Amino acid sequence: MKHFAYILSLVIISSGLVFSQAQTRVDQCVSCHNDLETPEAKLFQHDIHRMKGLSCADCHGGNRYAEDMDQAMDKKAGYIGVPKGDQISSMCAKCHGDAEKMKQYHSSLPTNQFENLKESVHGRLDLTGNARIAQCSTCHNAHGIVSVKNPASPVYPLNIPATCAKCHANPTYMRTYDPSLPVDQLEKYRTSIHGIRNKKGDPKPAECASCHGSHDIKSVHDAKSSVYPLNIPATCAHCHSDAAYMKQYGIPTDQFEKYSLSVHGVALLKKHDISAPACNSCHGNHGAVPPGVESISKVCGTCHALNADLFSSSPHKKAFDERKLPECETCHSNHEILTPTEKMLGTTADAVCSRCHTEKENPKGFIAAQQMRTLMDSLIHEEAKAKMLVNEAEQRGMEVSDAEYKLRDAHQALLQSRTAVHAFNEEKFAETVKPGLATAALVEGEAKGAVEEYYFRRMGLGVATLIITILAVSLFLYIRRLEKNGKHKV
Amino acid sequence: MKTSLKKIYTWINSRVELDDLVQFMGKKYVPINRHSVWYYFGGVSLFLFIIQVVTGILLLMYYKGSDSLAFESIQFIMSKVQFGWLIRSIHSWAANLFILAIFVHMFSVFFTKAYRAPREMTWLTGMVMLLLAFGFGFSGYLLPWNELAFFATRVGTDIAGILPVIGKPMLTFLRAGEDVTGATLSRFFGIHVAILPGIFIVFLSIHLLLVQRQGMSEPLDGHHDTERKVMPFFPNFLLRDLLLWLIVLNVLAILAVFFPWELGKKADAFASAPAGIKPEWYFLFMYQTLKYLPAHILSMDGEVLGVLLFGAAGALWTLVPFWDKKSSRGERNRFINYLGLFVVLFIIVLTIIGWLA
Repeated sequence: MKHFAYILSLVIISSGLVFSQAQTRVDQCVSCHNDLETPEAKLFQHDIHRMKGLSCADCHGGNRYAEDMDQAMDKKAGYIGVPKGDQISSMCAKCHGDAEKMKQYHSSLPTNQFENLKESVHGRLDLTGNARIAQCSTCHNAHGIVSVKNPASPVYPLNIPATCAKCHANPTYMRTYDPSLPVDQLEKYRTSIHGIRNKKGDPKPAECASCHGSHDIKSVHDAKSSVYPLNIPATCAHCHSDAAYMKQYGIPTDQFEKYSLSVHGVALLKKHDISAPACNSCHGNHGAVPPGVESISKVCGTCHALNADLFSSSPHKKAFDERKLPECETCHSNHEILTPTEKMLGTTADAVCSRCHTEKENPKGFIAAQQMRTLMDSLIHEEAKAKMLVNEAEQRGMEVSDAEYKLRDAHQALLQSRTAVHAFNEEKFAETVKPGLATAALVEGEAKGAVEEYYFRRMGLGVATLIITILAVSLFLYIRRLEKNGKHKV
Repeated sequence: MKTSLKKIYTWINSRVELDDLVQFMGKKYVPINRHSVWYYFGGVSLFLFIIQVVTGILLLMYYKGSDSLAFESIQFIMSKVQFGWLIRSIHSWAANLFILAIFVHMFSVFFTKAYRAPREMTWLTGMVMLLLAFGFGFSGYLLPWNELAFFATRVGTDIAGILPVIGKPMLTFLRAGEDVTGATLSRFFGIHVAILPGIFIVFLSIHLLLVQRQGMSEPLDGHHDTERKVMPFFPNFLLRDLLLWLIVLNVLAILAVFFPWELGKKADAFASAPAGIKPEWYFLFMYQTLKYLPAHILSMDGEVLGVLLFGAAGALWTLVPFWDKKSSRGERNRFINYLGLFVVLFIIVLTIIGWLA
């Protein structure tokens, strides 16, 4: 009995100890800051980290269970206060850069965000030179962090434009890093189809991160950037070629496919000519919209200025406007713009003119198209003929560099005639083609002359050799006659 | 006709006493022996030099010696000037045949020991003319101002520049500056059409005067003949010379028509040097030898040592009449034959390797 009383008292005492200990293991940071109703504490109540069991001390350090404030925030206990500069991102990366730790929280998030951030344009040093320009908290906030899928997150698709604009729409701030960078991206974005839909609450259309990336944002001049000219078509195609993703918007998804085949796409994607237009060159980037019917020639005219000017003053301008036909697109298409050839001109089945101009309904235009094609064909034929003759003369070793140089003028006339077509004026077109025909005829004459000269040289050589040989033989016979008496002896 | 000519002769003779000269020429004989064929190569060299002078003067009428116009002026000569293509091609081909003929002439003189006393001065003037011919070739090569010439001149002058002490000043003098530029072209043009021809004519005159004065040398083994066979220089030898000149002219015409000298691309100092850049064939054996030398030989730069050795060998070769005492005494000197044979084989083999490389 005595033993039983002893064991019972032990159980009671130890239970009390355990109970009292459990009572003291309350997170004193949360407890106190909640009592103080600090904004950080309020925000932290909904923080995803709190939901996952993390607490203030996990980032700020210190002893979360100490009731005494000095003990709780003792530096010896690892308290660091408010993390500053790169300390912030490093603190986040302690968990977010550790795949094992993240597994414990059943997270599927990538663990290379901090590494990507360091490599990104935002990972460069800020004005102080002591820390990176952007830390995790710059975009994600500090105490009220919620999942990116949560509409309350500053990095939720609908909120991203405003989050980025905090810095990027601030001219005073942006000037200190890149004075040439515009600060009206958000303003333009809101005028774009993407921006309008985003504003209406559709999270699917592209926002800043869709094109620029998130943690790994690179300068647009960096070839690795998703918005570097060579990469833009693929970046846009990421959504626009995804039929399932785009289904609800009812627009085609073959733009990238067509663009890749176009003269612009080949130049950019195959020849890596970064001056060739990408999607944003015609649609705009932050303010991306399909160009309207009335502005297509202006958009194309930013590069093809002469063609646009000629078209604007041509009789087609009025006709197209009346029929609400998109100017350049009607003949050249939009995404699949192929290299124009002479076949586009004229009245044959594959000529674009014949789509509107028929012999019966519009004979004037029909005849003009026919005659312009005849002129262009003549120039192509004459240039090719002249080129062939120049090559022949060159192969025979004749000096025809002057003719070769002139041949460039004939080719130049052909290129000019392709532009002159856009005036849709037969007389003006002839004015461009005729000098080319005259030059081609001149070159042809020179090349023919060179080939004739080649044969003349051979004939001349034959005659000269014959004369010299006759002279040599005669001289030989004369010497023989002279020496017929034998050698002289002294 | 004959009377008119005689009248003219009499008129001149009464003033400058031509009779003495005619008498001298009438008594001039050329020995006939198994090496007589080599006598003609001096005449062939002279004929090719005359062609160079004549075609060079004709080219001068259209050629413009500046970096902005040189190439274009040659293009103009080749395409617009009547027979300009022929004149230029003949000038280029004759330049190469001229060097070849001089080489043959020099080696024939060397092997027959015709340099021996009393013809040391003839040999020395001939060697000077060989050097001048190299100078003609090197300076003339740049004048079309094409890509190959530009870079070959850069390489060639670089080699001259590596010589100790005189290298740097010589390089600057040749290039008229630090690099091959339009100033180099103007300098080479001046050297090619004025300085070298002027000096060459002086040495040629001395050379010909000495040949006329001393007559043709006879090989050492010919002395055993009981009686010497000869032919009169005028007109027999001269007519034979003319016959050979006609054959050479024919060869030249065929080469010029069937293998017209190409002009290539205009020189561009900012372009990268074309692959396989080589000097003219007559410099190829030296160029190829320098390529084979290691970077350092006995703590000396390999190339520098190579250039100095070529210089020393050239000097020894030039001074052969003074150290080959045996031949001067009329004794056989087999060492000279072996040395000559080695040099000929060395030049031929290295030139072929250089050409194929």
